[in-house]
Amino acid sequence: MLRRLSTSPSVSISQRESQSPLPTRVWRAKWLYLALLIPVAMLLIFEWLPAFSALYNSLYIWNGGKVHFYVGLEHYERMLSDRTFRVAITNLISFVFFRVIMQTALPFFAAEMIVNLRSARWSYWWKIIFVFPMVVPTILNYLIWRFIYNPQVGLLNEGLELIGLEQYTHAWIGDPNTVMWALAFVRFPWLPTLQFLIILGGLQTIPQEVHESAAIDGAGFWRRLFYIDIPMTKRQITLAMILTMLFMTQRFDLFLVMTDGGPGYSSMVPALQLYQSAFHFLEFGYASAIGVVLFVAMLALTVINLRVSAIGANA
Amino acid sequence: MTKRKSLRLGNRDLPFQMVLLAFGIVTFFPLVLVVITSFKSNTQFYHNFWLPELPLHLGNYSSAFRIIWRFIVNSVLYSGSTICLIAVIASVAGYVFARFHFPFKTALFLGFITLIMVPGVLTLAPRFVLVRDLGMVNTPYALISVWVSGGLVLSTWLMRSYFESLPQELFDAAYVDGAAEWQVFIYVSVPLARPMIATVAMTTLISSWNDLIWPLVTITDKDKMPLAMGLMQFSSDFETDWGTLFAGYVISSIPLLCVFAVAMRQFISGLTSGSIKA
Repeated sequence: MLRRLSTSPSVSISQRESQSPLPTRVWRAKWLYLALLIPVAMLLIFEWLPAFSALYNSLYIWNGGKVHFYVGLEHYERMLSDRTFRVAITNLISFVFFRVIMQTALPFFAAEMIVNLRSARWSYWWKIIFVFPMVVPTILNYLIWRFIYNPQVGLLNEGLELIGLEQYTHAWIGDPNTVMWALAFVRFPWLPTLQFLIILGGLQTIPQEVHESAAIDGAGFWRRLFYIDIPMTKRQITLAMILTMLFMTQRFDLFLVMTDGGPGYSSMVPALQLYQSAFHFLEFGYASAIGVVLFVAMLALTVINLRVSAIGANA
Repeated sequence: MTKRKSLRLGNRDLPFQMVLLAFGIVTFFPLVLVVITSFKSNTQFYHNFWLPELPLHLGNYSSAFRIIWRFIVNSVLYSGSTICLIAVIASVAGYVFARFHFPFKTALFLGFITLIMVPGVLTLAPRFVLVRDLGMVNTPYALISVWVSGGLVLSTWLMRSYFESLPQELFDAAYVDGAAEWQVFIYVSVPLARPMIATVAMTTLISSWNDLIWPLVTITDKDKMPLAMGLMQFSSDFETDWGTLFAGYVISSIPLLCVFAVAMRQFISGLTSGSIKA
């Protein structure tokens, strides 16, 4: 609303100025360019340059130093036949699929219940309580879950023994069959802070009158959920899903800390393979090619997700 | 009367409260167990996994602190300088983009926001080579420069939309009073933008504080490591000394806990209202 009131101070000036030639206008704005010099230079050097370097070097064999020669699309062909990469992609798809559902549904239901509380004081405290795990450094989440899955003295196995289910104790992240499930449940009951707050913000903006008139029409909790709350927070839900997808595709610290892709390469993901190619095997060209594939995939997924939710919103 | 009313409302809340309570217990259970274990010796831990036990081994904390404190100091320095730089640079850039028209403005701004779609993993390897060739490996500059440039993308965007939302009348009043542009910026715009600067500072703090991969690639000296990387080192050094290990975990959660205690209300309201929806 405020934005409508504001007109830039230089609107009238710029209309007058647009008649003067370009070099004059550029010269007049010299202080503005100077003010932007530092950020523009930083982005050019530390963001744009590496991004283009990755595109370019994905066509080269490169050890990060002197060894540097053109191989065309060979890295991309190699990816097609690379068994590790195939496992990594399969892992990533199922992992992202699972995490997107979990990281959206869990915060949604928590937020839904918190917003529904009549006691404002309690709903404030529940927000604080569920945002609290944020103070634990991210790496500690992984280290704590590594302890939970520890085969000898892990919380999960000790818990199973405590309730008399010894036969189900397991080397959760040491077994190729269970490792991806174990990793999918890392941080499980803890809500993802950002997604939780985004969805909470969406639910809080639904006007009270909408809920009241729905109640008068006899809508119960579930009807209200499916016909009011979910449709009216569609934008926030979409945003939370996209964010989870982007985070999960490019962040591999979870895998690096918990298993380093093992046992074997059963918990490999593309981003971790990129890291290992570059920093263990000095294959910077191959690493760049994996990065390019991930970049294209993320771009495509975001566009598809936005399209689908736009269609859904119009219908 | 009021008492009965609150009782009735409380009952309506009861099912939700019960579910939330169960959820809260499951959330905090691992944390509580970590705190309990941090006061135990290994013998106590193996003997009695679940419950707290006397005597308390406070020595765990002193031996963990002797190692962890340096990582915390490093992280405070690195993240602190990153936050200050981003706050200053993004405010200025956001203000310029919000309040002025000049040639190539759209192109320059696109140069900022397109980077939102460029994932850090794409640029990781070439950026390392770049930073190595600039001679910044194993210095704080490697971390700060990359964190600042990475954070600028979103921060400038947030600052720009905030400055655009300020009503024109405020600026007009300042101009009428004879303020120069820099005075309008420092004495009018920045104080008004304080909530957004706080949000930017908070997001920068969390992302830089938790970054593990970039320090892992660029820092090698133990006494230069930031907290996230230091903890990884610490956890392998004390792998089977559970008490000390968990005492270190507790100590390393305290800095963000302090920030959280001071700025939580601000952080929650900043993220739940406004900024994200636009």
